Formats: sequence, C-alpha cells, structure tokens
Amino acid sequence: MLNQISGIALAAGLFMSSAGLVSAQAINDEPLSDPRVRQAIAYAIDMDTIVDTLLEGKAIAADSMLPNGPHKPAGLNAYAYDPDKARELLAAANWDSDRELDMVYYYGDQLTADLMAAVQAYLSDVGVKMTYRKLEGDVGAQLTTRPTNPVDGISNIDWDLGYGAAAATALQEYYNPYKTGGTSHTPGNAELDGLIDAINATADPDAQRPAYFAIQEYWNTNLDALPLYYQQLFIYESNKLNRNGHGYGNEQYNYDFGIVDWTMEPDANGKQIMYTNTAPPQFFELPWANLGIWITSKIVFDKLLSADGSLAVNGSQLAESYSVGADGMSVSFTLKDGLTWHDGSALTVADVEWSVKTALRVPNIHAVVANTFTSIDGGQAYRDGTSDEIAGIATDGNTITFTMSKLDPNMLLTFTQFPPLPMELLKGTDPIELQQAAYWQNPIGSGPFRIEEVQMNDFVRYVPFENYHGGVAKIDEIVAFPSLDGDGNLLKNAGAGKMDYGFTKNVADVAALEAMDHMRVIPADIPYTRMIWFNKFARK
Amino acid sequence: MLTYVIRRILILIPMLLTISFLVYTALELTPGDAVSALINPEVASRLSDAQFAELREAYGLNKPFIVRYGIWLSNVMQGNFGHSLAGGVPISTIFLDRLPATLELSLVALLFSTVLGCILGTYSALKRGSITDSSLTVVGMIGVSIPEFFFGLVALLIFALNLGWLPVGGRLLPGYETIWDRVPHIIMPAMVLSLMMTAGVMRYARSSMLDALTREFITTARSKGLPEWRINLLHGFRVALTPVIVLIGFRLPLLIGGSVIIEQVFQWPGIGNEFIGAVRGSDYPLVMMIALFSVFAVLMASLIIDVLTALIDPRVRLS
Repeated sequence: MLNQISGIALAAGLFMSSAGLVSAQAINDEPLSDPRVRQAIAYAIDMDTIVDTLLEGKAIAADSMLPNGPHKPAGLNAYAYDPDKARELLAAANWDSDRELDMVYYYGDQLTADLMAAVQAYLSDVGVKMTYRKLEGDVGAQLTTRPTNPVDGISNIDWDLGYGAAAATALQEYYNPYKTGGTSHTPGNAELDGLIDAINATADPDAQRPAYFAIQEYWNTNLDALPLYYQQLFIYESNKLNRNGHGYGNEQYNYDFGIVDWTMEPDANGKQIMYTNTAPPQFFELPWANLGIWITSKIVFDKLLSADGSLAVNGSQLAESYSVGADGMSVSFTLKDGLTWHDGSALTVADVEWSVKTALRVPNIHAVVANTFTSIDGGQAYRDGTSDEIAGIATDGNTITFTMSKLDPNMLLTFTQFPPLPMELLKGTDPIELQQAAYWQNPIGSGPFRIEEVQMNDFVRYVPFENYHGGVAKIDEIVAFPSLDGDGNLLKNAGAGKMDYGFTKNVADVAALEAMDHMRVIPADIPYTRMIWFNKFARK
Repeated sequence: MLTYVIRRILILIPMLLTISFLVYTALELTPGDAVSALINPEVASRLSDAQFAELREAYGLNKPFIVRYGIWLSNVMQGNFGHSLAGGVPISTIFLDRLPATLELSLVALLFSTVLGCILGTYSALKRGSITDSSLTVVGMIGVSIPEFFFGLVALLIFALNLGWLPVGGRLLPGYETIWDRVPHIIMPAMVLSLMMTAGVMRYARSSMLDALTREFITTARSKGLPEWRINLLHGFRVALTPVIVLIGFRLPLLIGGSVIIEQVFQWPGIGNEFIGAVRGSDYPLVMMIALFSVFAVLMASLIIDVLTALIDPRVRLS
C-alpha cells in the first residue's frame, strides 16, 4: 500500500512539473538534442497519409508510445501534418540545411524500404536531408552500444535516426529502456527517470494511470522517440475452424484462447486436422524470449497462470490456486494435483524452481520475465553469479512462494507467459547453452498438445495430450509448417487449403488472405508501436 | 590410370585445406556473428555488453580467428564436424537429415534431364533445320534463359493451386510414409529443376552430335553401307556423348549443394535450404561443412569426368 501511495504521489508531482515545461533547446552540440528539431520532424511526416496508402489502412497513426486505451491522457498533440510549422521550428532551432541525417533500420521487407523513401521525401520538403540504410551484420551492437557516460557522453553509434519498434508485453516496457544508461541514443535525465520510476511503483492499474498520464505528457513534448504508428496484428482462420466462442487477443503472447475446445471440419477420413505455421526449421526455440510467437510455445508448454486476450491475468493453468501478498511483494502458487509432463513424469514445484533459477542465468530471456525474476529476493545476485542460492524462493509440498526484494508491477503477467521446463530432462545443461540441448529437437511439455512427429524443416505433428489437466483437446491433430508471416509459403499453403490458423503483421499477407474466399482475417489491436529513435548524444 | 587417380586424390588434400581457409576467412569478413544473428535487435537492445560477451564466450567466438580456424580444422580431421551454433544440432545429424532429401531431388532431376536432354538433343541434330529442330531450339533457349524460380511459381500456380493435382510443397505429408507417398511431392520440384538442366543438356547434345556427324569416321561408316541408326547411335552418339558427360559431371555437385532456389520455392527440406539459413545466421561450423562437402563434390566430379572421358573415348589417355 505504501508503495502504491508513494507511486501516486510521485506521479502526480511529476505530472505537475512536466506539463509544458520542456526546455526548448539543444542539450549539446547535436541538433537532434533540440526538442524543436524532433517536433519539426514529427510535423513534417504525414502519418495519416502513410497509414492510408503504404499501410493500406491497416495501422493507426500514433500520438503516444502507449496504444489507445485507458492509460492514455486526453489532449495529446498528434503532430498532424504541418510542414509550415515544421519549417518554423527548424528555423527557430537554427537547423543547418547542409546537415544530412543518417536513418537506419533493420527490417528486410519492402514496406519498410517504401516507408523510408516516404519519410525521406517528407523531410526533404521541409529542408531536412536524410539518407537511409538497412543495418547488416551485428545489428544489435550497431543499434544499442551505449556511451560510456550515459548523460553527457559521446555517442557510440554512428546513426542519427533509427526506425524500430517496441512490442510491449507490459506497458512499462515502452519507457523502461529510457532510464539513464538504458539506451544508445537518449541521454539520461533525472526527470525522465522519476517518471519511469513512477509507472513501476505500483501493480495497481488505477494507481499507475496518473503516472502514465504524466510520462506521456512529458514525452509528447520532448519526443525522445517519435511514435509513428500502432501496428495491428491480424489473426487468420480458415472457414473449417471453429473456435466455439473463444475470443481473440494478442497472438504474439500466450493467452487463454481455448484451443482445447476448438473444432475443425472433419476431413474425408473423419479426422479433425488443423494446419498452421511457425514450425521450426532446425530446432524448437526456448520459449522464454519470444514468448508466444511459435505455435509450440502456445500449445506444448503450459504456464502457471492464464491471461485474457489483453494479457490481464484471468485464471490459472498449472496452478490450482495462487495468492499475492498484501504488499504485493510475494506470490504463492499451489500446483494442481497429478500434473505430468507429456512423457508421464510428474510435474512438480521442483521443475518450477529449477526453471526460474535457470532462466535467471540465460542471458536473452524476455525483459518482463527477467525483471520479475531479478526482483525476487536474491535473484539479481544469482543472475550475477555472486550467489548460488535464492532466498526469495521457498517450496512447501505442492506450493512454491516467490518473495520479492523490490516491487514488480508485472509479476503475475510473467507467470502467465513463462512456462516451466522439465528439470529431469535438462538439468546439468549450462544455462548459456540451454538452447543447444538435444531436448529442443523434440521437447516434452505440459500443454494440451504433445509433439507426435517432427520432420524438421518440413512439418511437425501435434496430437492431444491424453492426461491434460484441462481436458483432452477436440482437434485430432495439428500440423505446423515452417512458414512465418511475410513468407510466400504462408500464402501458398493458405491458397491450397493447408492453413487454418495463424497470425501476421504483414499487410501484404492480409490483403492476399482477405482475397481468399475460404479465409477470414480478424484484426487485433496490440501494444506494438513503430517509432523513430533520435540519437541525441554528442558526436565524436 | 590407378596411379593417376591416386595422385589426383592426394592433390585434393591441399586443395581442400586452402579452400577451407578461404571460406573461413570470407565468413570472418562478413559483418556480424552467430550471436548477433540469433538475438533479434529488439531483444538485443535489452542485453548488456557483459551478457553479449558471455554468450560469445560460450559459443567460442571470443577467440582469435586463426585459433578458431585451427580448432575447427583439428576437430574435422578427427571426424568431429561440430554442431550448429544456432540450435546445437550435430552437423552430422543435419547432413543425415537433409542430404537424403537433396539427393532425392537432385538425382531425379539429373536423371530425367540427362535422358531427356540427350534424346531431344540427338533428335534435334538428326532433324537439323526441321520445324522440330527449330521448336526444340526455341524451347531450349527459353529453358536456359528463364530463371527456375519463375518456372517453379508458375508450376505451383497451375498444378497445385488451380488444378489441385499436386501438393504445394514439402517432402511428405504428415502421416504418409511410403516411397509412393513421396512421389506427388517430388514431381513438381524435380521437373522444374530438370527443366533448365534438360535445356542445357539438349543444347549441348545437339551441337556435339552435329559436330560428330561431320567427322570422317561417319563418312567412312556410311561408305561401308552401315544402317543409318547404327551410324548415328553407335558411332556418332558415342563420340557426341563426351562433352555431354563433362557437362553432366559438373552438375554432380548439385547432389550435395542442392538447388537452393527450388528448395525454397517448394519448401523442400534439403541441405540447400539449410545452407541459406546457416549463411544468414553466421553459423560458421555448418557453413564450413556444407561448403567443404560441395567443394569436395566438385573436385571428385572433375576426377570422375576425367576417368569417364578416358573410358568412353579411346583417344583420351590419362597421365
């Protein structure tokens, strides 16, 4: 409670202090550090036209990093296309018209290249020269190498503008990377740090709201990154699939989509076979980084809790029950009786404990999951390797309790996304090399479907797990092919009637799927914001 | 001939070593590494430099280039081909899984294109100047000049999507395991792959046959009153076959390297598809082994061509 109150107070205070009080000047010799230049770039780009044309109306122009919803304040400046205003701001900021901005991106699709060309034309119209290039090779390092001094340092990256995205599992993810020292492009400042602390100060959504309002007001003027558009996700289904009333949600993550109840129109042999994609080309991916991208992550691995389509906790999965401490600093899960892995061995709290500990030492796990686990008392020391024990994990019979050393607003969300793995099959594996374990050629899970056959890079067959705690699935078989969104094979398979379910964010896929009589496409608003990063650090 | 073959095989060793070093160097010069390829930029932005270093250490990427090459070479010479950096799968397993698919596709295409190309090329030469010859020449030119992915897509559109006669891709449908179950899957990729190869063989066979038919021994055979079919097939075709064999021989490496484009268009789970993924992912142990096997195949093919040429054409002597 104390945390919640202090969070609200901090947020309210920052809201008052941040509204309209941005110093409109550069913080160093780099013109992009001047908010007026960033605002000018925002005014110069006609996002509404880009959405209507390039994006074929299948996106929403953004006015904030956060998607539309209850956490967005009214009255944000949408930076509607206004080239005159852009020129005015550039003149006020003494923009050097000889300066040529270097924009980088890392997506390989044609749409991105077209978008870059459009942005280049818009900027040219207001007197800003820009070239663009796709990053190759060590993209991560080129994008993210931070300066030695995170406040007044010299930039360690060689670009001016970067086109990227944030796909947030939790809304805090939009801003948390901007805390001092967190990015390669935004100098740390105490005011922003305070606003970020405020959105992380409580797990209560109502209490978080003023903090979100405050940080968006600040951002709307500062534009540390320019939100361009909200990407939609499109779920496609064939007319042979019936979800039997179960809803849709953010398919990039794990949510309760009720696949146990789904049915398919039987084939000539009377079998209900559902075709999908995202089968692995060489190995099954550890489901702790890309949480719900692959069909295997969704149907082979159960989590402790379940979430609804918007990723809010809506019940339990492996857990029979769970309880959160009054101060939000602990959570206990009691597992259902008689849980087993697909090979028949018992699934116990030891598997959960081992999985959490192992995840702490796997470098590339999802940020939300990592934040929760390092918030466990002793979790950070365990991750750093300075301790081999975690005081904040206790087990008692079928119950496991996690005690936090700092509040994590997304603690429960993590347990809707993080699947435990079978300790007996993986113990002894170096966590850094966990993905290299032979287990990932044919993993044993705990979800409603088990893997029956793997023809790597050809197909994977999943069949219902006979002892699933949530009942046996009605579909007889799921066959996954190794295609992804934006992949010609997806459309080819769909055209041939071999694609009954999947999702895509590629607007070209959507147009083609919508043209097929036997397919339907359902748009879903997801927290996925495309943006332009500004490198505001001084240059060498 | 035996001495010649042994000497040629011994020469392969320094050649393979040199080529392996060149390929390894080329890989080293490409930007990025397996770690940067494995982690998408959005996740990478949340990793610290220390975590990247930890991952690179675990993958053995922190060692100097020449040390890594030495370790790789030493392992290969001991029969340890290593494992894929992406998923930890032993490379021997990847070869065992993927090579049969590529061999299956390539062998069918090679066989089909060789037989059909030789028949059509010979026939075209024998009917020189006729409408059939002109038609086959045009077809041959089309086959050689249009890229195979285009043929692949057109074939998919017609035979899989519009007519529904053949599957859209893959090597096998789930639940079907016999060799006959595989037949519908291989027809389109093999035919498309062989189309271009057939055109090449046909053009080669035609010109070679035309050349052979102008030789003096053909005139001599005719003057002896031998039947025309005997002159053409036993005397002319045998000589005409030598350059065709050279062409076919140089296609043998396809058996290892596969047809990358065709495998991608038809979702064929072969080694060519794997190679593309490995190059994109800077998976150097896998790239190295596939490249090395391909080079080995080229060198062996060259040897086999020399031996076959000597066997077919008595005028050729190996020394």
